[in-house]
Amino acid sequence: MIGRAPRWPTIVLGVFGFIWIIPIVGIVMTSIRPLSETARGWWRTDSFTLTLSAWQRVWEAYPLAPAFVTTAILAALATAGTMLLTPAAAYAFHFLKFPFRRLLLIIIINAFVLPQQVVIIPLFQLWRELGLIDNFLAVLIPYVGLSFAWSIFLVKNFLEDFPTEVVEASRIDGAGPVQTFWHIVLPNSLSSVFATGILQFLWTWNALLLPLLYLRTNVPLPVILARVNGTYELNWDLQSVAAIVTTVVPLAVFLIFQRQFAAGAETRTGAKD
Amino acid sequence: MQDSVAPESAGARAGLSSRLPGEQSNLLARRRKAGDWPAAWLLLTPVLILFGIAVVFPLIDTIRLSFFDIKGLAKPKFIGLGNYLKLFTDPAFRNTLVTTLIFTVSTTILSVGLGWMLAMVSAFAPRQTLPFRVMIFAAFGISEAVAGYMWIGILRPDAGGLLNAAIGLFQPGFAQPWLGDPRTALWVLIVAASWGGVGLPLMLCFASVQSIPKTLFEAAYIDGASHGQVMRNIMMPLSLPGVRVAIFINLLGALRAFDIIYILTGGGPVRSTETVGYFMYRESMTQFKLGYGAAATVVLLVAVLVVSIPAIIQRTAGAR
Repeated sequence: MIGRAPRWPTIVLGVFGFIWIIPIVGIVMTSIRPLSETARGWWRTDSFTLTLSAWQRVWEAYPLAPAFVTTAILAALATAGTMLLTPAAAYAFHFLKFPFRRLLLIIIINAFVLPQQVVIIPLFQLWRELGLIDNFLAVLIPYVGLSFAWSIFLVKNFLEDFPTEVVEASRIDGAGPVQTFWHIVLPNSLSSVFATGILQFLWTWNALLLPLLYLRTNVPLPVILARVNGTYELNWDLQSVAAIVTTVVPLAVFLIFQRQFAAGAETRTGAKD
Repeated sequence: MQDSVAPESAGARAGLSSRLPGEQSNLLARRRKAGDWPAAWLLLTPVLILFGIAVVFPLIDTIRLSFFDIKGLAKPKFIGLGNYLKLFTDPAFRNTLVTTLIFTVSTTILSVGLGWMLAMVSAFAPRQTLPFRVMIFAAFGISEAVAGYMWIGILRPDAGGLLNAAIGLFQPGFAQPWLGDPRTALWVLIVAASWGGVGLPLMLCFASVQSIPKTLFEAAYIDGASHGQVMRNIMMPLSLPGVRVAIFINLLGALRAFDIIYILTGGGPVRSTETVGYFMYRESMTQFKLGYGAAATVVLLVAVLVVSIPAIIQRTAGAR
């Protein structure tokens, strides 16, 4: 662009930016002020007291701490599963030849359009028959299984630019396909594997529908938030703390890796242009 | 001869077989083909098993179940198209279809329209507007469940709700139960869902505008074009690829929406905010009409496939 940037775009974006964070400011304020002050609006300043009372009481009121641990375990296991299995499959699809390769690839990379709603009835019946309801596997299997629809596409796209000569050289030197994957391809495609991991981590941390249906005792944070939200108690301060605890980790991860996320979400849900 | 050994794109992809002449290449390729088999299956088996359980089986089974009448634990009864006939005579479901259409189209227009406009505006001052773009994008990083909770606070029916308080400045004592009134619930749900949805179109369209060659802008400004003309004649048409992707992502996201509806309205009041994706949950998981819910899921699936046809064609053609 020529010359100095005009000022009006900054003003327009500034107005929208501040409007956009009002809901976030709202729950933060509600969580650090006494209920009596925020009952008629968290923005009112007739009297203004800061208190961490809600932050101290919430752990007794709601099972937030165990839910946090559950969420972290589920997200970590699902992320590890996706990060371990995806590159192997992407490598096989990209560099190896075997029957039905293209057919399988087409089926897997197009499955990204499927909504989660498709899995819930069949898996509900299957888990009930196998006695897996309330078992972490009941959500971990669909978390990891569903992720392949976008993760393999993402890593395979990365491999398109991988120098074929290097792979061929390794094969001529006598390395088998698995060795070539482990020693040559995997170490050089870690950036795409980590991008996959970040997306999977955010998705599983925030997941509500599957754990809502398949878990009962140890449930992750979004399910706890849904439960306390449905109680109609006037606990705005405690509920706001629960909401912040639910979202603080994924939001931090998201903001740190936002660039990769915008690029990843594009390949995850959309076509590459 | 070569083709039978190294099918389809092997020549271009694998490089080797096309570079070595004659016999030697043939031999190598044949050895490779045989050698690849076990390794490929070894690497793929866990993926295929999990994908089979989590995607292929549920997909086929949902379609199968949609032809059965299933009540609780009793034996399923085959009823052919019975569930579908019932769906399309069920006023609640027909209402759901309309709600889905309004919700999907409105959230997409709001998110993509606003995101696109803001992307073009910020392209005039990319560096100065960066912090504000991050603020808008941050809403996209907040899970739907938490976003729903935040909006409950804004939409509270009393004067403690920000929206009522803001309107109350001009109209003292204003108190609208936004979420409790069937006439307003769907529209505030759409606003809440779009709040988180603007960030991604903003980023995609911004990247799209940024990739326009700078010389085009320079030429336009030298010819005396105004900002408005540059926006209308250069940025809008040339950022369309990004807009298309954003529209598609938003349509898919709106069709599969569940979390924010569950938290914010639970489909109510009087089922006025139930989309097909929520209807199937309600019928199958709270009313235990599994076959009926499966039929609704198939309807959702058809809608998703119709929206996805261009993307599927593109991906299938690009799958090498």
